[in-house]
Amino acid sequence: MRTGSKKSLLLSICMMTVVGIVAGCSGSSGNKENAQGTAPIETTTSENAYKDKYDPPISITTVWGVDPELRFKNNETIEKNVATQWAKDTLGIELKSLWSVTDTNNAFATKMRLAMSSGQEMPDVVTIGDEQLAQDLIDSGLFREVGSLFDQYASDTWKKAVELDNHVWDPYLRDGKKMGIPVLDYAYNHDYLLWIRQDWLDKLGLEAPKTLAELEIVMDAFKNKNPDGLAPSEVIPLSIGFKNKMNTWMADPSWIFGAYGTIPQQWNVGADGKLEYGSTQAGSKQALEKLKEWFTKGYIPKEAALWDENKAADPAVAGKAGILPGPYWMSGWPLVDTVKNVKDAVWKPIAIPTGADGKAGRHGTKYTNGVVLINKKMKNPEAVFTYQNYMFNNLADPQVGSEFDNGVFKGYDYDIDASGKVLHLDDIPGGYVNSIRYLLVRDGARIPDAQMKALLNLANGGEAKTKLELEAKNNYGTETPAAAKVILEQDSISMKNMFTGPTTKTMKSKMDYLNKIESQAFNEIIYGEKPVDSFDKFVETWKASGGDAITQEVNEWYDTVK
Amino acid sequence: MYHKTLSYRIFNVFNICLMLIIALLCIIPLVHVLAVSFSSKAAADGNLVGLWPIDFTLESYKKTMNNPIFLHSIWVSIKRTVIGTGLTLVLAFLAAYPLSKENSAFKGRNIYSWLFVFTMIFSGGLVPFYMVIQKIGLMDSFWVLVLPGAVNVYLTILLLNFFRGVPKELEEAALIDGAGHFRVMFSIYLPVSLPAIATLALFSMVTQWNSWFDGLLYLNNAKDYPLATFLQTVIIQRDMSSMSISPKEMELISTKTVKSAQIFIGALPILVVYPFLQKYFASGLVVGSVKE
Amino acid sequence: MAFQNYKPWLGLTGSEWVGLDNFRYLFEREDSLQVIWNTLIIAVFKLMFNLGVPFVFSILLNELRKMVFKRFVQTLVYLPHFLSWVILGGILIDILSTDGGIVNRALGVVGIEPIFFLGNGDWFRFTVVVSDIWKEFGFGTVVFLAALANINPTLYEAAEVDGASRFKQTLHITIPSIIPIAIVVGTLALGNVLNAGFDQIFNLYNSLVYEKGDIIDTFVYRTAILNGEMGFGTAVGLFKSVISMILILISYRLAYKWANYRIF
Repeated sequence: MRTGSKKSLLLSICMMTVVGIVAGCSGSSGNKENAQGTAPIETTTSENAYKDKYDPPISITTVWGVDPELRFKNNETIEKNVATQWAKDTLGIELKSLWSVTDTNNAFATKMRLAMSSGQEMPDVVTIGDEQLAQDLIDSGLFREVGSLFDQYASDTWKKAVELDNHVWDPYLRDGKKMGIPVLDYAYNHDYLLWIRQDWLDKLGLEAPKTLAELEIVMDAFKNKNPDGLAPSEVIPLSIGFKNKMNTWMADPSWIFGAYGTIPQQWNVGADGKLEYGSTQAGSKQALEKLKEWFTKGYIPKEAALWDENKAADPAVAGKAGILPGPYWMSGWPLVDTVKNVKDAVWKPIAIPTGADGKAGRHGTKYTNGVVLINKKMKNPEAVFTYQNYMFNNLADPQVGSEFDNGVFKGYDYDIDASGKVLHLDDIPGGYVNSIRYLLVRDGARIPDAQMKALLNLANGGEAKTKLELEAKNNYGTETPAAAKVILEQDSISMKNMFTGPTTKTMKSKMDYLNKIESQAFNEIIYGEKPVDSFDKFVETWKASGGDAITQEVNEWYDTVK
Repeated sequence: MYHKTLSYRIFNVFNICLMLIIALLCIIPLVHVLAVSFSSKAAADGNLVGLWPIDFTLESYKKTMNNPIFLHSIWVSIKRTVIGTGLTLVLAFLAAYPLSKENSAFKGRNIYSWLFVFTMIFSGGLVPFYMVIQKIGLMDSFWVLVLPGAVNVYLTILLLNFFRGVPKELEEAALIDGAGHFRVMFSIYLPVSLPAIATLALFSMVTQWNSWFDGLLYLNNAKDYPLATFLQTVIIQRDMSSMSISPKEMELISTKTVKSAQIFIGALPILVVYPFLQKYFASGLVVGSVKE
Repeated sequence: MAFQNYKPWLGLTGSEWVGLDNFRYLFEREDSLQVIWNTLIIAVFKLMFNLGVPFVFSILLNELRKMVFKRFVQTLVYLPHFLSWVILGGILIDILSTDGGIVNRALGVVGIEPIFFLGNGDWFRFTVVVSDIWKEFGFGTVVFLAALANINPTLYEAAEVDGASRFKQTLHITIPSIIPIAIVVGTLALGNVLNAGFDQIFNLYNSLVYEKGDIIDTFVYRTAILNGEMGFGTAVGLFKSVISMILILISYRLAYKWANYRIF
């Protein structure tokens, strides 16, 4: 008897769960009505709405995907911290957080989608990094057109920064309307050069290699006549890895493809002005042949197919690798630690070597790292511009003596001692935290070419004066300015992925399979399991299994933004 | 006595060696993690550390111990483990007892047990689950870590099978003496099943301690995360291609040494619990028989 | 949801009904059969050994007479369960390296050519199964040890009096006593038969072994999770649940029919 009553309790819990699900369904349908019903509300933006400071303060709601590495101090959180206080005091804007999530394992995108599903309140303003999520949110119809707002309210500094590359709008265009404001980032952050052990070169009496042929001589010498006395089997002349992709952010072989005129796994402009997929071009076949040769000779790691970016950097830090391809900032990390393991190690940046016919190529970096979306229901959309204009005018490239000259928040991302001297970041009481990341839009405001200009000035012997220059000089690796110069001198070989639009229909259903057969074919060729000519078979399959359709869709999109 | 026979002695020596080898194989990775946590950053980043620290330092432990979020997350984890395990044990115990009876003694038993199993296998998926959490107001509350998983069908089924192993005579004797089901449950089944309950407790604790996804999704602020969620955000490698980076930040990224220290400290409490629970594995029926 | 082209902003009632499209996508891809086959092979081997190894191990462990030593071994073998695959993946790549990894060096001593454990499809499956057993068997042992502790000691005393050897005692008392628990654990594990271990494979697989190492979960991760295709993800979940339910039903029936034992 007693057991029976307990069972019925459990049963009723089951029932409650069912009821809950039903309630959930009705909730989401309400959401849908909202989405459709609020479309016409765009009336509150009158001519004089824009203010430099709101009094009384207004509030803006947002949500946060917090970088796992972001630190806080003084018991602050992303919801309430020195930056939110600052915005309230200076701009009269109160930032209210609906929720936040540490953005790992796609948590932000998942939570955003779930919040939409269950009809939770959508934020007024949100910064999105995940491309697919941004496209979904734009398609949801919950967020408004922003082009007119931008034209009306954005400051000149901001407008000029965006005009450096008008393609930054491309991903967010719908029928010619701008649906999101691109978040600008520093240019060239992922452009490649080669880091080479200069001390090895010197001891061997070799020059920095300028062509692939010279590179081979250098690699051979590194391996077989190693100046540090390492046995050939211990040395990895060229540390690369392609567990995930052949085109990524560090230690990938894409520049070898570049020497044959193409960059794999991205859309390049072909000879006929149309977009073509790099991996299926003839140049890729030659590059694979070269990689196979290098693999056989032991120039690249035996397990390159298993290595991701960080893993490929390991032997470089350990002092066992001669060359590590990657971005200009690597002198600060990870290479700075090599010298602690091998006393005499010196890493120098050199240009990407050219192929037999003088061709060279590296993958480029887009000028954006996300998008800002504005809710249709937001009452004061111009407040976003109050906030961001301030950032662009004061933070993007602060001049000597200006408000943010030393940093943004004293005691957080900079500090000054009693004598007025700016402290090294490691000496800030309580530790450095990157409080710039607390700002509404990630990194506050960045002008794409500002950082490179600052670095170039330093590389040419200029004195560090502005904030960006001082920052680079004091806190970046010693070789960073020189590396920036190398990057800029090879500006013409940079190839950006030219397709930045929403995922096309065929891509959705076929791209994963195409990627799979591609990496399989590439790796099998490099590892000698299949002959190089199997590349042609791969291209054939690729085209037939949806590749041709995707190419066509991509070009249809390209025609609309060209 | 079988212990004295030659063949058994040979077997015994062989067995001891085998156990030692296997145990050694199992401890190697943890030793490696420990060694890394005590090594210098440069050696760890160069992947030079094997089973012994290079340039011994306690730096990473200092950093970990100075991180208030890390310490708080341990506290959240302890809370959820204690409360969650307590709830799961009570519910599993109460549910397993009736379900362990014969069909004749408990009409409709089969239907109930299939209902349980059904919920174990089928779930509405992420979206409906999230909606339920949202609608019943568990979102962003500590209880979201404990309540949804409180009824653990897997453990309940295990327990009911252990209950079946309890000699029927014990129960019948008690029933004849006029004891009710609750008396039988607590004074006979409970002491006799201690090894089983210790097992359940262990499983449940480990599940609670290791769950990270619920914290990530249903809590709205990182400062409330339990340890497993915190660790997950630390050990997963970031995809640098999708974010802007400055060299300074790259330098500040948690190094392998700090990660290793956090992993080790994070696993420590649950590792310590096991040897403590082991003493219950030796008791069990002995207690029961003595009682009788 | 499994039958919808689910869009979060349209919700369950607003999203378009697409019938069986989501399921069709799971089965109609060029590599669908291969992926499902991979999943099954890896999962079935894991299932068998993750049941068998702890079973045997717990019996052997039970034979240890020194309590301290027994607990010591017990605790050590249980450790790997607590390290995540992200960490273990990194360690495995090092120790299984063809280029000076410790395993291949050991094989070299015996005169075996280096084996590319993680880069060869067949060896990859082998490595996945073995490393999973190594990680989980100690933890799996716990439940059997509990069952062993539940055996009535008077049974052994009686057997001793009858002069049965230890081997005979094990065969006729120990094993039959813990077989019911083994059946239960095995049956419940069937609920996981289409989960070949996402975390593990995701951290270990690479382009060289896509053909033999790609499983349903990694495939769903790439196509559904990363792209926010929630309808498809739910469809696959439903499919897996149905298969699990059927298998559990069958094994429940079998246990009842052959051993007259109700698992739950």
